Amino acid sequence: MSDKNTIHYDHIIGADKDLKEILKGADLTSLLQSSGRSGVSYCAVEDAAGEVLYRYGTFPLPAEGEEQGPDNYICLKKPIYFEGEIFGYVVVSGNIQNRNLIEIITGLIHESTNTIIKSSYRALLATETHKTVVHQSYEALLETNRKLTLSESRYRNLADSLEQQVRQRTEELKHAHAKLLHQEKIASVGQLAAGIAHEINNPLGFILSNMNTLKQYVAKMSELLIFYRAALARNMINPGDMNTAEQQWKKYKLDIILSDIDTLMMESISGAERVKKIVSDLKGFSHIDETHKVDIDINKEIERTLNVLIHEILPDTEIIKDYSPLPPFTCNPADICQSFFNIILNAFQTREQGLKLVIATEHADGYIRIRFTDNGPGIPEEIRNRLFEPFFTTKEVGKGTGMGLNVAYEIVTSYGGAIEVGSVSGEGSTFSITLPLSDNASQRGHV
Amino acid sequence: MIEYDELENRMILKLVYYGPALSGKTTNLLRLHDLLEKQGRGDLTVLDTKDDRTIFFDLLPFFLVAPGGLKIKLKVFTVPGQVKHDATRKAVLQRADGVAFIADSQLSETANNFESFKNLEENLQFVGLDIDKIPLVIQFNKRDLGNIVSEHDVRSTWEPTGIPVFLSSALEGSGVVETFTSLAGHTYDHIDKKYFLKETHGLDRNTFIQQLTRKSHVIPAIKP
Repeated sequence: MSDKNTIHYDHIIGADKDLKEILKGADLTSLLQSSGRSGVSYCAVEDAAGEVLYRYGTFPLPAEGEEQGPDNYICLKKPIYFEGEIFGYVVVSGNIQNRNLIEIITGLIHESTNTIIKSSYRALLATETHKTVVHQSYEALLETNRKLTLSESRYRNLADSLEQQVRQRTEELKHAHAKLLHQEKIASVGQLAAGIAHEINNPLGFILSNMNTLKQYVAKMSELLIFYRAALARNMINPGDMNTAEQQWKKYKLDIILSDIDTLMMESISGAERVKKIVSDLKGFSHIDETHKVDIDINKEIERTLNVLIHEILPDTEIIKDYSPLPPFTCNPADICQSFFNIILNAFQTREQGLKLVIATEHADGYIRIRFTDNGPGIPEEIRNRLFEPFFTTKEVGKGTGMGLNVAYEIVTSYGGAIEVGSVSGEGSTFSITLPLSDNASQRGHV
Repeated sequence: MIEYDELENRMILKLVYYGPALSGKTTNLLRLHDLLEKQGRGDLTVLDTKDDRTIFFDLLPFFLVAPGGLKIKLKVFTVPGQVKHDATRKAVLQRADGVAFIADSQLSETANNFESFKNLEENLQFVGLDIDKIPLVIQFNKRDLGNIVSEHDVRSTWEPTGIPVFLSSALEGSGVVETFTSLAGHTYDHIDKKYFLKETHGLDRNTFIQQLTRKSHVIPAIKP
């Protein structure tokens, strides 16, 4: 019975009551009084043990040593049955002459007491049941309240830790995203490197070949020079020597060599210069030396970007540059070049041939606006608002990372700018970058 | 057990008639009251009804004295069957010594019977009683009506559980005393194990049952 789930009541429904608990004095007093006045000398209600609970008048006590009272008195005692057992007694006493009356009075009090007991008992049961039920309902409410409080605090804890978990996950995602951006940069650098290698290899190839030719030329010229020097040393140039010298000149085709040397030299120098320019553009594009913010000319950065992409430009591509003079823009130049690179490279990939790319820049109302317009197939409307999502790509699996435009978007928005796309299916697309100068100015000084 | 007073040599037992609303719990007690001898029992106390629906409970008390002098009072209660009176059911069920589950035989009441039986299980546990140990009998009442669950179905469902099942029509008086007799017998067995009614108090099973179920010689008028 000590189970923690059970609730114990002070009152058990069905617990026995004695007569005193059920029968209240006020219920009986007037009845006993009236009975007494009607001619009996004593009337009372006793409990089961014979103890007088309520009475009227005095019981004619038996004289000392006698069991009965005075001879002329009689006493009637009638048991009250309740719930099948004797519950109490009605006792009435009076002069024997009034026996009839005494019997009637006894019956009357007995009947009345029974009625009062029944109705009082019902009232008592109802009251106690009600009390028990109310008490129990209250206990149940308290228990419910306790459980609710507990569950509330559990949920509160959960909510708190949830916030922390969300923060942690967000941090992880940011980290992963930054890592992806970095990987995207590495990937584009890799792509660049392949193209650049080809660009550099070409001039280097003919420079090397020229150098080999020049080496042979120089060997022949050296031999002739040694011959002339020996002749001069003999201090006499006889017609025989002259003849030999002429034969040598012809043999080594020095006329051709002399006319070719100049071309070879010029070619080699221009080749070396091309390599030098490529390296310089690459260096400029990557801004290896500039990891902090500097003032740049956006037009110039677009040029650099185009230069490093030169190997991606198909021969029949037409690039129209519509640059306006621009005020300096403060930024990390490598970032900006990266975003131009990604957009221009996309444009180059829109068509196999006949690509026309218009690059326009303008400065108005505190904004720099750069527009890249191609005549590619255009971008279907249903994917237009997904273009800048990370990992969104229309290229084959493994061909694109889906990060190019996302990187451009991240970079542009990090400068408080906006990047928008307009497209007409079958006619081409325009990517517009808007960079605010005022916002940009406020960032000056920050690194 | 409501009370056991060794000093007074007095024991008060509680039997509870449980079941869904309107299954005939009060009618069972009314019939017992009519059918059984007035000697040794009290009147039926019907407590606060509303539209003939029990709100608190009904109470029919019995009283007997064992040969050894032990006074035993047996109080038979009904519970209110309506779902909303669950708190009262719990209160009445507290310290019960035996339960008669009065089911309604009408097919339409099958779900209510089931709900009420489930409620009995829960409430017994709530008041710390074990449904597997407490004396329990089941009565399928209202056999006089049509559209009722077949006797075969009743027996094949309940007999495997070992719980005694009775078919009754409380309104007509059949099965009522049998149900009560069975419950009284099981309750005797249960109490005897712990309180040695026979050994210590000289009260054997048959005497106990006979004392409680003496038929009245007055033939009761059947109420419509």
